[in-house]
Amino acid sequence: MESEERERVEGGEERARPLMGRGVRTAIIAIGGGAALFVIASLAFDAGIFSDRGEVPMSPDVAQAQMFQPPAETSIPDGPAGDAVRRGQAIFVNTASNAGDFVGNGVACASCHLDSGRRANSAPMWAAWVAYPKYRSKNKQINTMEDRIKGCFTYSMNAQASKSGGPPPAGHAVYKDLETYMHWLATGAPTGANMPGAGYPTLEKTSLGYEPARGQKVFVAKCAACHGADGAGQLDINGRIVFPPLWGPNSFNWGAGMARVNTAAGFIKANMPLGQGSSLTDQQAWDVAAYIDSQERPKDPRQTGSIEENAKANHGGDSYYGKRIDGRLVGVGTP
Amino acid sequence: MESFEPYEEFKPIPLPVLIIAVALALWGVFTLLDNGKAVTVGRAERSDQIADQHANRQNGAELFVSRCATCHQPNGSGVEGAIPPLASSPFLKASPEVAMHILLNGIDGPIRVGDATFEGHMPSFASVLSDADIVRLVTHVRGTFADRHDLLTEGDVATARLLAGRRGAWQGGQEIAARLDASLGPQPPMSSATQAAIDPIAQKLVSQGNGQTWACASCHGMRGQGSASVPRLAGLPAAYIAKQLGDYVTGKRRNETMQLVARTLKPQDMRRIGDYYSVMRAPSNARASLGGDLVRGERLVLDGDWARGLPSCVSCHGPSTFGVAPSFPALSAQHPEYTAAQLTAWVSGTRDNSTGRLMNGIAARLNDADRRAVADYLATLPPVPAPATRGRTNGK
Repeated sequence: MESEERERVEGGEERARPLMGRGVRTAIIAIGGGAALFVIASLAFDAGIFSDRGEVPMSPDVAQAQMFQPPAETSIPDGPAGDAVRRGQAIFVNTASNAGDFVGNGVACASCHLDSGRRANSAPMWAAWVAYPKYRSKNKQINTMEDRIKGCFTYSMNAQASKSGGPPPAGHAVYKDLETYMHWLATGAPTGANMPGAGYPTLEKTSLGYEPARGQKVFVAKCAACHGADGAGQLDINGRIVFPPLWGPNSFNWGAGMARVNTAAGFIKANMPLGQGSSLTDQQAWDVAAYIDSQERPKDPRQTGSIEENAKANHGGDSYYGKRIDGRLVGVGTP
Repeated sequence: MESFEPYEEFKPIPLPVLIIAVALALWGVFTLLDNGKAVTVGRAERSDQIADQHANRQNGAELFVSRCATCHQPNGSGVEGAIPPLASSPFLKASPEVAMHILLNGIDGPIRVGDATFEGHMPSFASVLSDADIVRLVTHVRGTFADRHDLLTEGDVATARLLAGRRGAWQGGQEIAARLDASLGPQPPMSSATQAAIDPIAQKLVSQGNGQTWACASCHGMRGQGSASVPRLAGLPAAYIAKQLGDYVTGKRRNETMQLVARTLKPQDMRRIGDYYSVMRAPSNARASLGGDLVRGERLVLDGDWARGLPSCVSCHGPSTFGVAPSFPALSAQHPEYTAAQLTAWVSGTRDNSTGRLMNGIAARLNDADRRAVADYLATLPPVPAPATRGRTNGK
């Protein structure tokens, strides 16, 4: 019995030992393999094979990169032509100081044409330059580039409230310098071609339509921190405009393209809030544009008779001009 | 039984253990080499930087572009209604000492140039420009915009600098005309009614604390200048400071030290502290120290990088990054360690309290080198000319 017992026990131990050994070995291989994998992964991570720490994923703006690229600012030539380009650029970004006689509000060319007129989908100047002269239904005639710029001063920069009381007279140096700047920006662009990124994108109408009351909520959440709850824009400590006014006496007047809801909606969708373009839904862009463009602003300089007459003549489509909101007639102008 | 011992002796080291040992050794060597390389690269960058700053300084025109043109404009036109023009300015036609004294002390009050009056604030450049820089800058600006070519010496600047430290900003054109050059003509008077009074309760909170936690000044300094990762507070918008303190309490902005401090403050204390720092004018003690590329930093701050969807810093933080109250803080003269750490915090999520979460997306599009470049460039800019007087500032 005893020997039998011993034999059984010994036999059992002999059988158990290889089993245990196998278990240990499996464990070592598992742990070792895991550790080796970890080490290899760490090495790969250190070598930067995986992207991390924001080093690689810088999300280049692919859409913008595929558009026409205007020449770099450093390549402005020396000499009289280059000087004109620089003067034009200075007028473009700082219109009130360099063409101050013709600006009647707090808006500059670069307020709507972002990145000094370079930004695609923000009505870039390289695309505009090759599209003119052209016929415009706005004034039912062929417009040269000078005519077009004159329109910007008249409406977007509300020239009738400026020192001179109107846009620069025909042939003025302001036009020459701005056109030289645009011509230079369009270096290499095909004349007459429909360039991707030209103008502001056209936004499809939504099934809900647009509505100022909904837009007000979007405005408070997304726009007011920069443009002010009253839409008057904001100044820095020296009284300099940092965020342009969107309505009120210091904003663009009723004749400006941006006073049309569809134009504003396209601009906003593509470019606002600054640095977060395309972050608003189409519905939000339409609604907030409706809110902004239902506020009062300087009167339309084309108005000679009544608002109703001017509305009929010049304000078809997506405009609140001449309509009534809560009993208030829109388009009477700001004091 | 005799075969048992040799079996024990020949038992090999298990293969997995070998693999682990070799892999660990490889990892160790690689890490050592990699760290060594990083340190070498870092040192090389740093020394390039120093060489750049000391041996290969900017000439007058370059200094003008990077220090003056954001306000006075590349063509010296100034900004209608806000920034006086330099072209044909009587202050430049006067002796070179006038321009020098203005650069050293800044201006904080009304000034008349040509037929327009400007009610503005110009920073003091004493803490960010050397004597030689100021000589070059004054020479360039007067030569270009006033056709005056008489020279200033570094000795003149050094002497004036000693006196400059003892006085604050020039209180408008009237004081400049009275003290420096009567030929500058009639200048608008300073309105004393707008002088901001110091709040004794805020002063006590800042310098002595509230008995429960540290005083602000124990880390941020008596003049609110901060150091390294402790931010400069002098001249930041009042509402911005109050909001940050509140956000430490709610956890929208995370920092253990500041959370402890902020929890002991009542909302009205936060507002008082904000008001106190917002009107403080203090010299810059920040220096570019991260080895960032200053040229790249300047481009990002002034122009952005639209190809990557990055607007410029100045498009929201204002020209010269002096801030736009209440939401956008001043960035100039901030410590680069702090600025870079915040840009990282927007990405990592330890800070998630910017207006419209604008900073989250922007910081994510900056790589490490760009963050250092931006932070270092901002540290070279003059401190915000905090309005010690309350004029017609917007947003208050």
